[in-house]
Order: sequence, then structure tokens, then C-alpha cells
Amino acid sequence: MNLFHFLSQNYDQVVELTLEHLWLVGISTLLAVLIGVPLGILSARHPLWNRPVLGSANLIQTVPSLALFGFLLPVPWLGERADRIAILALTLYALLPVIRNTYTGIRGVDPAVVEAGRGMGLTDRQLLMQVELPLALNVIFSGIRVAVVVSVGLATIAAAIGAGGLGEFIFRGLAMVNNQLILAGAIPAALLALGADFGLGWLEKSLRPR
Amino acid sequence: MKEQRNERHRDASAARRLPGVALIFVLLITSSCAHSRADRIVIGSKNFTESLMLAELMAQQIEAHTHLKVERRFYLAGTYICQQAILAGRIDLYPEYTGTALTAILKQKIGSDRADVYRRVKDEYEKRFSLTLGPPLGFNDTFAMEIRGEDARRLNLKTLSQAVPFATHWHAGFGYEFMERPDGYPGLAAAYDLHFAGKPRVMDLGLLAPALKNHEIDIAAGNATDGLIPALDFFVLEDDRRYFPPYEAVAVMRDEIVRQHPDVAEAVAELGDKISDREMQQLNYALDGQHRDPKEVAHDFLQRKGLVH
Amino acid sequence: MHGQRLQIGYAGRTFENVENTSSNTPVIEFRDVAYVLPNGRELLGGLNLRVRRGETVVLLGRSGSGKTTSLKLINRLLSPSAGQVFVNSVDNGATDVIQLRRGIGYVIQEAGLFPHYSIEKNIGLVPKLKGWREDRIKQRVQEMLQLVGLESDIASRFPHQLSGGQRQRVGVARALAADPEILLMDEPFGALDALTRDQLQREFRALQQRLNKTVVFVTHDLREALRLGSRIALMEAGKLRLVVTPEEFMKSSDPLASAYVQAFVGDESISVGSIKDASIKDRGVQ
Repeated sequence: MNLFHFLSQNYDQVVELTLEHLWLVGISTLLAVLIGVPLGILSARHPLWNRPVLGSANLIQTVPSLALFGFLLPVPWLGERADRIAILALTLYALLPVIRNTYTGIRGVDPAVVEAGRGMGLTDRQLLMQVELPLALNVIFSGIRVAVVVSVGLATIAAAIGAGGLGEFIFRGLAMVNNQLILAGAIPAALLALGADFGLGWLEKSLRPR
Repeated sequence: MKEQRNERHRDASAARRLPGVALIFVLLITSSCAHSRADRIVIGSKNFTESLMLAELMAQQIEAHTHLKVERRFYLAGTYICQQAILAGRIDLYPEYTGTALTAILKQKIGSDRADVYRRVKDEYEKRFSLTLGPPLGFNDTFAMEIRGEDARRLNLKTLSQAVPFATHWHAGFGYEFMERPDGYPGLAAAYDLHFAGKPRVMDLGLLAPALKNHEIDIAAGNATDGLIPALDFFVLEDDRRYFPPYEAVAVMRDEIVRQHPDVAEAVAELGDKISDREMQQLNYALDGQHRDPKEVAHDFLQRKGLVH
Repeated sequence: MHGQRLQIGYAGRTFENVENTSSNTPVIEFRDVAYVLPNGRELLGGLNLRVRRGETVVLLGRSGSGKTTSLKLINRLLSPSAGQVFVNSVDNGATDVIQLRRGIGYVIQEAGLFPHYSIEKNIGLVPKLKGWREDRIKQRVQEMLQLVGLESDIASRFPHQLSGGQRQRVGVARALAADPEILLMDEPFGALDALTRDQLQREFRALQQRLNKTVVFVTHDLREALRLGSRIALMEAGKLRLVVTPEEFMKSSDPLASAYVQAFVGDESISVGSIKDASIKDRGVQ
């Protein structure tokens, strides 16, 4: 049975695992944005925070993903369910690109614009919401794009601890020495990553300020 | 002075797309939770032959006696993965062992009484995980001390205690884990006051059977349901002192499934006490030794037992 | 209540009673203002200066003279290390900074227009902050465009579509949109080519005569100072050296002032004299 035949036979499973994969990526990216963007803004505005914030995010990146999953296993509440571990780990890994790009984006806003804005009487919050964030948006977005693409790959490994997703096909296929199963997981995962990269890249371009 | 809240002051075209994108994102996420599996049962298995065999038997039972479709998710990497999958609702049932459930998942100390272990697992699973345990399938896949069939017949040995005086002349062969685990060889030697000729040889699990066959060793520690036991005419000495803990195979099912589809629970329960140690050995051999198709093997078995037609 | 204050640089003239609400009441006043950087470097020291209503005071000086620092102390973009800055007799450090800034027009060299806002939104920024009605803002934007000599259809365009000169005009329009009393301008025409600069200076002068705002204008160009200022405040190394009218400046005996004049006059003769004369002057002038 060739791959295409296999995929159409097991269509339900492929769809289910793909959706599980998207869920893992989506939730963790969302959390990374909710946590990372404010942290990026904080470190852009108060340079003293820059080192600890970026430093911590960098530190997390150096931990191998499988090891991070393993560390989190004995943690109460978290360790009881594999998808909680996976989402936490994915969120942590997505933080660095989001924080770093938010920082760069906001610092990259033309200082003359910021000065003019401040001089005209915009409050700090208005300056952030009306000027800095809109102008930094496409840089922030490219950070989100990196986070998503990285997450898609990382979520594949999360299947090793039972979190589901397309990686499950891969691991099962490895155990059974079944190439079709392996490809049934690997190819959709790769397509997902490519699609996300492409789609978000297009979106990023359209958000670019004139 | 009253401050006006400024809403849409972004560059019009770009910002207008953002809510649309966010919406798609949200839809994607929510849709992934919303998949309905009203007419499907998903069965998982661990990544070794026996687990696969049991899961296939259960799958065919369900297919034969209910109108539901069965989706097979076999070869999940291990106990933890299966447990996570059933807790998350990604699979609906899978075959587990009482001893494994008690020690690896419930993290409790094990006893030697089969019924007691079963009851404890059943109660805890219900309380903690809302999982239902089916009846034991009939065999005990625990550790087995194997000797050659010819020796067993010649010396008229049935139990381990009977073998103890002869053991001093025997060479033993064990896998690494059995050698090292406190509830493996060390505990066994203590329980039976067992001594061998020289130190037991540690070897790869796959090499134990040929070594025993070829008289390189005289006694080996394997699994009670090894397919090679009947095939190579090995004999399992009975653990009369009840040293080894029980590992009875059971179906673990989600409560929700049992509630929604009582016919599924019934179909699976029909397998209760239907598989003896010997029969399990033969099923394993059919897959590992004869490389037959699991589906065929399962179907034959169910037919022979009169469970399907 | 502060009695008589001696104003350095006003050639001995003094003012009575600061609280007097005559046209002599200073709109802006620096009292012993100093600004020191965290590393100890003093950008501004002991500044005392008053700006009266309707005046255009030009802060003239080289880079590092403290002129931009002084300007930013007025709208509190910087806070003084010592002394006080009064705007309309109120210490601007004790008041709501945001409201203060919304009442002061601010024009900088790079214009600083918001690139993601249309010209209309840029100009209408402060009125919107102040809560004006949409239609009133729209109308005001058109008025401002007319005031600075721009076509009304520019309102829907974006800054990147405009030339440098047009952007600066928009900058001025934006600063004037909410009709502030005070206008602060930091070398607004410095980045433009000579022709455009010349034109904008002339237009601004005409504008100032019409609107009669109180303006503090920073520049390093004496020509611009002479053209636009009702008084010139010469600054050097963080200190105010003199505050005089343009005519007085040209005749001043202060060495720095006369150096500026020399440099300026040297330029002038090249432009008006013959080419032969100019070449002689070129070699002769220091």
C-alpha cells in the first residue's frame, strides 16, 4: 500500500493528529505572545531588565527539548498530563524569539517619531499603543513566525512523552519499523511548518509599515 | 480634561486583516477540540507483540459484537504514553497488566495475591482516573523460571521449591534487568534459598532461549507467556512460594465509553478468563516465531473459542 | 512677591513684580536652571531667561551649547537638575506634564511625523487627544494645511509620499493644530536644502506676524536667527552669554557674537560682491 493510499485509508487519524498538533502549537504560541510581548516591551523601555529577561529566555533555549520534557515530568499537576508538559515546554521555547523581536521592534522605532509623540503630549501608554506597537508590529510578527515554525517541529517530539500530535505517527512507525507510518507523520508535520512559515511570512509583509 | 480613547488609528488596510487572522487562528484551535468520535472506538497498545495481540483481540470482539468502527493505534511507546493517551481521551481502551498498573502508574508496593492486586488497581483506577478495569483475561504474564522440558520430565519437577536441590548443579542465565532489580534475582534467591553453580550469566534477552536450548545454561528467567516456551519445549517452574508479583492482563477503558457504549464493555468482558498461559504463549509464537498476520491469528483464536463466527 | 529680579543680559534693565498680568508677564521663565548629566557633565548652568508673550526668542549657539537642552526643559522632556522653569507663572515640574505638552507646539528637525498615520491624522493628533469632535478636527486640518501653504488633498496622503519640505510644513501644521500659545522649534529647517529652507523661513516669518505666538526657536545659523528672532539668546558651553535684539547683536562687542557676525558678513559679501572681489575676500577673510 503506498503512502497516498495509506493516508486516505487512515484519513480520520491523520486529521485528528494534525488538529492535536495545531492545538499544541496554537496554545503555546498564544501564551508565548501574551507573556513575551509585555516582557519585550518592559525590557525595551527599561534597559536594566534587558539582561535578565533576554538572558533567561536564552538559557531556556539551551536546554535540549527532550530533557526539558523529562524535567517537567515529576512536577505536580503539570507532570500528570503530557499535554500540559508539552504546552509549557513549547511556550518556554517560543518565548525567546517573541521577546527578542518585540525588544528589537520597539527599539527600532524612529526615535524622532517617539520624541515628537512625547513632546506633543502622548502618555506613555498612548505612545506604546498608538505609535510604538503599530510601528514595531511587523518585526514582532516575524518573531511570532519563528516561534510557530519552531513549535511545529518541537511538537513532533512532544509525542515521545505522550502529548500526541503528528509525532505519534513517527514514533509508532519507528517502533513497528513501518516507513509509511513514519512518513504519515513526518510529511504533514513538514508541510505544516512550511505552510506556517509561508502564510505568516505573507502576513508579516502585509503588516509592514510604509 | 477628558481623554478620548483612540480605537482604529492603525494603518487601515494592514490592521483590518489582523482580526481576520486572529479569528482563523482561534477557529483552528477550537476546532481541534471539537472533533466528534461518536461512532468510533480507539484502541491503543504498547509496543510489543503480546500487547498488540491482546488489543487486536479486543478490537475484533468489538467489531463483531457492536456496530461501532474501531480505530487501531498500536505500538504506542510504553506504559506512560498509553496512560497519557487514555487520560487525554485520545484512546478509549488499551490492554494493561495489573502488576504494572500498581507499580508504574499508581506507584504503590506490590503484593503477591492476584485478587488483591486486581482489586486495588480496579478501585484506584476508578477513583483517580475514572477508568474502568475489565476482568482478567486468564493468564499471568509474570517472570518465569524456565528449564528444558526434558530435564523437567526426567527429574519430575513441577515447582521451584522442588528444583532448589538440583539448582546447585545448574548454570543460570538472566537478562540484565532481572539480575539487578531487587525484586528480581536477589529477592528470588532469598525467597527460595536458591543457589546456582557459579554466578548467573548475564546476557541479552534474545540470547537466553538459544543458550538454554544448547545446554549453555540450564535455567533462565523469561516471561511466562514467551512464545518460545512451547516451541522449544521449555518448562516453566511453578512459583509455589508466590514470590513473583502478578501481572494479569486486563482491559482499561474510559468510564465514558462504558457508559455510552455498554455493548463495548460487554464485548471486551467476554474475553475474561479465556486465555490461559499456554494459549498466550502460542499466540505470541504465531506472531514472533511464525510471523503470521495478527488479524488472522486473532480471528482464528476468537473463532476457536466460539466468540465470533 | 519675588520682588525685583536682575536679568543678566538685558543690559541692566529690570522687571518688577513677576505676577503682573501685563503683556510684560513672561510666558516662559528660566530661574537658575541647570542640567547635569548622570555622569557629571554639565549641559546647562545657571540659566536665567524670560520669554514674553508674542516674542520669538532664538536660542543661537554651536552644538553642545545647551540650546536644545534648554528647549526641552520648557516642555519637560527634560527635568532641570537645579532651578525651576515656569510656564505661564506655573512651575512646570509641579503641573501635569501631559497637559503641559498638549498646550505647547513642538517641531523638530526630522519632523517626526507618524509614518503609519495619514497627514490628516498626523495634524489632527493633539486635537484628537483633547477630545475635539471629528468634524471640527477635519476642518481644522484643512485650515492648517492652508496656513502652511499645502494643497488640501495632501490630507489623505502619507508622510513617505511627501518631500522633505512638505513634511516640515506638516510638522508646523501639526504643532499649531490645537492652537497652542507656545511653539518650540528645534532647528526645524536644518535638514532641508538651502532654497527650501529660505522659503520656509520667509513663510514662517509671515505666519508668525499673523499668529503672534510665543516662539522659542533653536538654531546654529545666524542668518536664520536674524531673520526670525525678535530677540537672539546667544549660548555657549551651557551658559547664556547675551540676549539682545538682532540689531544689537550685529553691533555687539561680545567676542563670540562678533565672531558669528564676522562669519556671517564674510558669507554675505561673497554672495553680493563680484566674483573677483569674492576671490580676494576669500583669501583675506580669516
